[in-house]
Order: sequence, then C-alpha cells, then structure tokens
Amino acid sequence: MKSPGSANGLQSAIAGAPAAKRRMPFDVSDLGMIAALIGVVIVAQIIYPAFLTWTNIRIILSQNAPLGIVAVGMTFVMIGGGFDLSVGAIYAFAATMFAKIAMQNGLVEAGACALVLGTVCGVINGAVVAYMRINPFIATLGSASIFSGLAFVYSNSTPQTPDNPNFMILGQGVWGPLPISVWLLIVTVLIGGFVLAKTVYGQSLYAIGGNETAARLSGLRVGLIRGSTFALVGMLAALAGMIEASRLAVGQADIGGTIPLDAIAVVIIGGTSLLGGEGAVWRSVVGLLILGSITNLFYSLAVDPNIQLVAKGAIVIGAVGLDVWSRARRR
Amino acid sequence: MSLTDAHRDFDKSKPAAETRPQGITIMATDITKQYGAVQALKGVSVDFHAGEVHGLVGENGAGKSTFLGILAGRVAPTSGSVTAFGKTILGGSPRESRAVGIVAIYQELTMIPARTACENVFLGQCPSSLGLVDYRGMRKRFLELCEKFDVRIAPDARTDGLPIADQQLLEIMRAYQSSAKAVLFDEPTASLGENERRKLLELINQMKAQGTTMAFVSHHLDEVLEVCERITVFRDGAVVASRPRSEWNKRQLVHEMLGNELDSTLQQRPAKPSRTPRELLKVRDLAVPGLLYPVSLTVRAGEVLGVAGLVGSGRTSLMRALAGLEPATGWVEIDGREQGAPRTPRASRAMGIALIPEDRKGQGLVLGRPSASNVILGDMPAVARLGIFQDRNILAAAKAAVAEYGFDPARLRTPARDLSGGNQQKLMLGRWHHARPRLLLADEPTRGIDIGAKTEILAALRKSALEDGLAVVIVSSELEELLVVSDRIIVMRDGHMVDERDCHNDQIDVKTLLHSAFAVQTGEHGAEQMQKES
Repeated sequence: MKSPGSANGLQSAIAGAPAAKRRMPFDVSDLGMIAALIGVVIVAQIIYPAFLTWTNIRIILSQNAPLGIVAVGMTFVMIGGGFDLSVGAIYAFAATMFAKIAMQNGLVEAGACALVLGTVCGVINGAVVAYMRINPFIATLGSASIFSGLAFVYSNSTPQTPDNPNFMILGQGVWGPLPISVWLLIVTVLIGGFVLAKTVYGQSLYAIGGNETAARLSGLRVGLIRGSTFALVGMLAALAGMIEASRLAVGQADIGGTIPLDAIAVVIIGGTSLLGGEGAVWRSVVGLLILGSITNLFYSLAVDPNIQLVAKGAIVIGAVGLDVWSRARRR
Repeated sequence: MSLTDAHRDFDKSKPAAETRPQGITIMATDITKQYGAVQALKGVSVDFHAGEVHGLVGENGAGKSTFLGILAGRVAPTSGSVTAFGKTILGGSPRESRAVGIVAIYQELTMIPARTACENVFLGQCPSSLGLVDYRGMRKRFLELCEKFDVRIAPDARTDGLPIADQQLLEIMRAYQSSAKAVLFDEPTASLGENERRKLLELINQMKAQGTTMAFVSHHLDEVLEVCERITVFRDGAVVASRPRSEWNKRQLVHEMLGNELDSTLQQRPAKPSRTPRELLKVRDLAVPGLLYPVSLTVRAGEVLGVAGLVGSGRTSLMRALAGLEPATGWVEIDGREQGAPRTPRASRAMGIALIPEDRKGQGLVLGRPSASNVILGDMPAVARLGIFQDRNILAAAKAAVAEYGFDPARLRTPARDLSGGNQQKLMLGRWHHARPRLLLADEPTRGIDIGAKTEILAALRKSALEDGLAVVIVSSELEELLVVSDRIIVMRDGHMVDERDCHNDQIDVKTLLHSAFAVQTGEHGAEQMQKES
C-alpha cells in the first residue's frame, strides 16, 4: 500500500512539478498505532470514567516515566539493529549505588556515580557487541547476569535506605504541573527525538541498522556508532533506576526485572522494526502510552497482576504480528 | 529423470509421450496489476507453448518481472486470469503455482546459506525412506546431475562458501530435478561468467527437448535471440509486440523496447584525451592471500580502466582489496601519497576511494531509507552544520548530486526500495558525486539494468572521470561495454593480471579480450575452459 503522500509525489513527478510539495507527515501504516492508542483511550474511558482525569493522567505518566526513559534509549539500540536485555540489571545496579552513596555523601555525587556506572556498563555491552562481534541477545543476557550479581554483592543484598529527605525529590517531587520524573522523560524524548531525526549521528544509525555493509562502505564507523547506542541506553537505564530508587525511597538490587521486556515491548508496539533501520522516538512514546494506559486500566479494575502479565505478553505478540502482517501487505 | 516423469504425468492422454508436445500450456489473459497509483501491467496477454522458450524483454519497469511474478504466484494480479496446464491459478500463492508445476528462478537466489550444495538442490523434496532422509541416494543423484550439467560442485560444500555463479547453477539444478513442467528464468545469466552462461544455455536446450515450457527474462538480447523460440516485448506495462524468433533481430527488439525514443545503443569509443594527465593512482604489489597475486597498475586522472576476466578470476578481489574489504597487502598511492593497502572500508574511504558494489541492493543502498538519505550517505557531515541536519539541505544536496544523471528530483523522498535498478544505480553514482572521491571503483555497474539506463550509467562514469578528474576502475562481464567505456583494459585470470591493452592505440576487440581471459599456456584451468569453448 502506498501512502497518499507518495502518490501525490508521483503525480507531481509525472506532471513535472517541482519537489516543493510536502509529503504527509505520517505514512498510513504509522497512523495505525495512533489509531490503536485512541481506541485504547476510548475503551478505557468507557470502562473507567475517571481515566481521562488530570489526576489519572499524571499517575499514568509518573508511573511510566522510568520505563519511558529506558525505552527512548532502547529505540536507539533497536534502530541500530541491536537489542539490550541488561537494562533491568543496570537499572537495579544504579538504583542501589545511588542510594548507597547517598547514605554517606551528597546527592549530586551519588547521582553522578550512578550515571557513570550505567554508562560504563553500557560501554562494556557495546564493546562486546561491536568489537567482539557477539550477538547482542547473548551478550546482554550474559552481562545482565553479571551486572545483577555485582549489584547484590555491592549492596550485601540489603536494601539501601538513605535518610536524607532530599533523596525522594527525583521520584516524588513536583515541578509546576508535573512530577519531576515526567519532566525528565519529556526532556529525554525531545532530545532523543531530535538527535535521531536531525543529526548525522541519528541518520548514520538508520543507515547502519538498515544496511550495515552499505554503511561500512560509505565510511561510517559502524562499530563505534552501534556500540555507542548501548552506552546511551545504559546511561538512561541508570537515570531511570535512580528515579525509581528515589520514588521508593530505597535502593534495592532486586528491582527492574520487567524493565528489559517492557522497554522492548514499548518500542515494538510503537512500530519500530525488530530488524533495525526503521523506527522513531515518537513511536516509542505512542507505545508507552498504549502500554501505560492498559496497565492503568487493569489496576483501576483491580485485575490480578498475574493475569496482567498474561495480557501484556499477548499484546506484545499481537503488536509484532500486526507489524509483520502490515509489512507483508505493503509488499 | 523426474522431469520426463512429470511431463508424462501431464501428457497422460497421449501414450506416446516421447513426441515433442505442442500447444499452449500456460495462458495468461488480460492481466492487470495496480501498485497504488501506478499501473504496472495494463492488460497483458501472453501464451506459452510446451517445449518452447518464450523470451520476455523490455526496459526495467516495463512490467516483465511483475508479470513473471504473477505466473510464479509471488504477486497477486489485480485482474485477469492465468490458466496453466489446464488449471486456473488464482494468483498470489507461490505454493499454488508450484503445485501445478511452475518453478521460478530469480535473480535473487533462494539458497539456504548454511546448508550444503546437495541439500539445497533437494530442498523440500529430498529422497527419503520411512521419513528418513536418504543421504546416499541424494548424493548419488546430485553427482549425476553435476555430470549431466558438466559442473563440479562438492555436494558437501556449504552453500554460502560457493561463488554466486555456482549457487545460480544449483538453483537451476534444483528446478531441473524437481517435477517442473514450466521454468521461469528471471535474468538467469546476470551473475554468470561466459563459461557458466554457455552451460546454462545448453541446459535450457536440453529442457526444451524434454518439452518443458520456459519463460526467459534477460537484458542480454543476443542471448534471448539465441535461446528463445518466441519473443514478447513489454513497454510501460503492456505487450507491444509478440512474434516468433525468426521475425526478430536485435535492432528491431531494441526499437520496440524503446518505442519512439532514439535507439541509444552504445556510442563510439571515447576520444583520446589530448594531453597526458598525471598518474593519480599507483598500485604496487597489491595481493590478497589465495585470491589475488601481486598486481601493480596505474590509472591517470580522467582515465577509465576496464577490468576484464571470468567470474572468479580475481577481478572482484582486486576491487574489494582497494575498497578495504579484504585483508590485502601491498601499497596504494593516490595523489602522490603512498600508503599500505587499506584494511577497512573506512581506511579506504579516507584515502579517497569509493566503491559501487556489484550487489547494489545488498551492499550499496539502505533500501528502507529515502533516496536523498542514500545519496548523502557518502558524506553526511558536508550537509550538516555542527552535526545537525535541515531537511531542505539534505534534499538540495541530493538533488545537486543526482541532477546530471537524469534522476527525477521528485523521487528523492521515495524509499530506495521502490526504484528501478537504473535509478538505484543513479543514487550510487550520486552518492559518490556528492562525496567526491579520487578513485571510483564500479563492480558490474550495469548488471540488471535496462538498455536505456545502461548507456546513461556508462556515460556518467566516463563523465565523472573526465570532468571531476577522477580515476575510474570498472569491472564488467560485458566486454563490448568495457571496450566502449575504457581507455585501457587489464585482463585478470586465476588471480593474476595477465594482459593490459590500450584501447586507443592497440588493436583490441571482444575476441582478443576473451582470448586473454580464457587462455592459454599457464594454468590448466584456463586451457581446459578454452577447449570447452572451442
């Protein structure tokens, strides 16, 4: 299926008109996920009339802010043709470190250490994937175990509870109309979206994910750029872990178990390709809102969390199935 | 042979199955195909006869591949009907087409890389007893097939380790050994060297004698004229002429394909440059272990060097070594700066070397990305400021780069996937025009491209040599083309550079090049091929 936009382009081409005609900002297939989001919102509003209240929207956003921040990084990794299963472990490790250092030292030092930790973990992942040429699935499955183990060792398997009341600002504080965590998500989305769409780095990433050989032959630093996406998602996972630790007022090594799959689910539901080379940050935002709305609805209806897991898994498989189906139809 | 069995099946009504069957076996009536706003086929009707090769020719985008796709069940027609061997094909299901006995052999191969040659040939129909694969029987039949086709491929060789030409032959062997009643060939010789090409044509003649219905799509008109009984010309999604072979010659074919456009077959050989420019590229002792023995050569600024040779002769290795894709040794001097042979593509690019790879889709283009993005890929920082792009700058830069190749700027937003082969190649030319390398390498730049665009591509390569002062190195299997475009030609054989000719001064034609490529004293391999040729 061609979009109306490209059909217009073609007609203008035939008519010899200049290329000034602007294409529609979305492909028809893009609208699918937005339609799905609208559908979810309508259904949720019918079932749960308080769904579209400001309070509830704020709850959805703040509950999903850490996940959204990780998903922005995961979008970069997946567009570059990679995959990161270790973000949950980095998330927990950073949360633990943030809390433990905050017990003795200042919050700024604690935050800086946690972010550096996340970045270093990501650099290790990136190096293993890009230069040792180990499949990202295996590489990050292994490193997840390493990082998680280190987090338990570092914290002696005990919860770290700093008594500094400012520790809670990041996860619980509010600035203006929105929680600070949501502001951080918004900033991450805006910067991430800009970098991906408008910079040499972002365009290089699309080329590498789309056709690695072509990118290599064009002289791009394929290993460095692909590796750097792991560093980025590592840093963002650390930021998300810090927010979570602050929200819970405790840093524990056993959190973040669902983060990797949820982040990948969000990216995929938004329509970013598993094969790399296609996707966008705004898509992941749509994916986040879909998944977040559904989760919120389940909680408001007091659905058994185990049943929620079942439903979430089915939604992810359904979304990928839809993606595959629509791609086949476009052919 | 199973092929004859299949043929008997089909011809059960007649007990004397030995006689060559006549009559229409596949009938396509009034086929249309709509892709969005584009009508790819506008009511095409073609009949295929048993024991005949039916050639389908036309420029890229004329609709012949779409038509073949419909017969093969890869593409569902918008309207119209196909009747094959007495059954109506609904279309859009490869399985359905396969079930009535139609097998297609595409330009893009359908080998499973990690399986062996033998397993690939018997893919999906391996001989078995009690559900267990009969490996011995399979091997035996494989070796019989090899003997029949006069090819030597180890049955246990992993397919991804074989040259493309061998994989193509395996593909044909697969079709042959299955119960194919009709075989559709889409550019079957594009990746074959002269020797393999001959084998394939012989093979087609054998299948013809056994009554197989065949369709043959090729840009190689001599080949079409040689092997086909009936030739149909497509233009703009419609059949413009369909006649028996005897009523065609090459000139008429080209005339029908191009319609009212000028018959733009290749022009005269380039004029010799009046002054002798400086040497831009000097290669000293460039070698790749096992593939390329030390080669030394020079190319002047503004000069086009042609590289001739059979598939596997080392011509592609030479290009890959210069592009940093092989662990090469030796020295490369560009603009007076001598460096070690590049070991990575990035190092090669930094030296000012750019490659247009043979496999445009697989190695050249990012198919899902817009054409403009593909053009600027060669040098993105040049378009950006502080690493940040503006969309209009991307479009303007891409437009400037492709303008002189006759690429429609309105299509710069179109994904590269949706372009014809010729336009895709123009994107590659545009990419390097934008990035301004010193040395441009083009590996089979006209492969799978229609005649009109072929001339344009060759002219553009010459022009970039002359006007941008580049050194250009072209590898091509089409020797006539090479003779027209090159100032000098070197010939590769068995990894060695065996001949070098000046196109302006030396007496040189296709025959002399072929002679060098196949000849002679050194290397049994070459001599053997020579004998087979004669």
